[in-house]
Amino acid sequence: MTISILTFIIMVIVGVMALGFIAVSAMFLIWWERKVSAHIQTRYGPMRVGWHGVLQSVADVIKLLLKENITPTGVDKAVWWAAPFFAVVPSVMVFAPIGHDLNIGVLYIMAMTSLCVLGIFMAGWGSNNKYSLLGGMRSAAQIISYEIPLILAMVTAVMFAGTLSIQKIVEAQKDAWFIFHPSMAVAFLVFLIAGTAEVNRTPFDIPEAESELVAGFHTEYSGMKFAMFFLGEYTNMFIISALAAVLFLGGWSGPFLHPIIWFLIKTYGIVTLMMWIRWTLPRVRVDQLMGFAWKVLTPLAFVNLAVAGWVLLR
Amino acid sequence: MGLIEMIKALFVTLKNIFVKPVTLQYPTQKMPMAEKFRGLVDLRTEKCIKCNQCVKICPTSCLDLSVCSQARSQEGSDKKKDFGHFKYNMELCCFCGLCEQVCPTQAIYMNKIYEIAVYGRDKLHIDLLDTGKYDEWAHPTVK
Repeated sequence: MTISILTFIIMVIVGVMALGFIAVSAMFLIWWERKVSAHIQTRYGPMRVGWHGVLQSVADVIKLLLKENITPTGVDKAVWWAAPFFAVVPSVMVFAPIGHDLNIGVLYIMAMTSLCVLGIFMAGWGSNNKYSLLGGMRSAAQIISYEIPLILAMVTAVMFAGTLSIQKIVEAQKDAWFIFHPSMAVAFLVFLIAGTAEVNRTPFDIPEAESELVAGFHTEYSGMKFAMFFLGEYTNMFIISALAAVLFLGGWSGPFLHPIIWFLIKTYGIVTLMMWIRWTLPRVRVDQLMGFAWKVLTPLAFVNLAVAGWVLLR
Repeated sequence: MGLIEMIKALFVTLKNIFVKPVTLQYPTQKMPMAEKFRGLVDLRTEKCIKCNQCVKICPTSCLDLSVCSQARSQEGSDKKKDFGHFKYNMELCCFCGLCEQVCPTQAIYMNKIYEIAVYGRDKLHIDLLDTGKYDEWAHPTVK
């Protein structure tokens, strides 16, 4: 396959735009999370840098960029250095088919986001630190467990739409959003819970449980490498929320406003919901987390899938 | 199931979002001090009768008052004594407020200044007769 220079230039421009969007979105989400958490705790949050601290994340990024690149003695250097890239690259890869209607869109996104666990586990192993290793192990166990109900919830949406293509799923919701269907509402709930666990957020943030594991897998990381883990985490949160918006809330369709604006409103709405949950609920124990995934969420997702199948075939 | 409790908790945090934050934006907003707050020792020179009681009661001897009696001979002056100097060594002060309590004319008192960090030791030696002694303290500037 040959690519013309023009196509190549367009690809590069789109790629740079996607990277810019990912970085800006992650910085905005970090600022937004700090604001939401602050207001939940009747504080102000960042207020000094720019209007209501809106440039705080920019200042933080500059600080992280200028920090010394420390490699602790005793780390498995190759693994330790590669881990942040493995954590962030899959999240960026999700944005690769932008502008194309990939006929296996949902599958592709799930495949890519599942790879993030590799980076986290590598960070845990490479750090040569028991807390990091525990964090990495927990993360692997958690993400593998919660992927099952997550995918089952997505399969329910795919069954309703009859396609894996994201654009066709959105088109299928032209008349009514999937969430208004009872069995899809359950699927949405399962998706949201499993999605929260997938992106390692409270109440499922045991891989980086501060009170137990210092900072879990990223204890030994500082500076830009730490920033990359953060970038990956917040990008994953954006992806899960965007997926929820596409599969259950009608994606970018909506009256009056531009589709992109509708899409961003829905996505950031779900992100805010996840933040709201994070700053309300306490962390669950490891055994509770695994028990909930295997004994409650997975059976519920299976039953829901069966009910959805029965409804569709009736 | 703790589901109902979880939903209740979510409503509590949602309600909190709309509550005015309790944070004080410190350098720009300042907390008014309580009535009985004991800040730095200050002096109303016109009320002082130079009785020396504050100096005597001070447990750390941080006050130093000297009086000159030249004014006695001046015509028209009803004052019996005049100030020589009235020094306050903040380095020693333990902010006990005894000087304020013992003063018969409420001349010596403790003001409401609480930002009392300075960049040099010499600044802790304060001349209570200087009217502008606390100008810099009340509006601290970062160098």
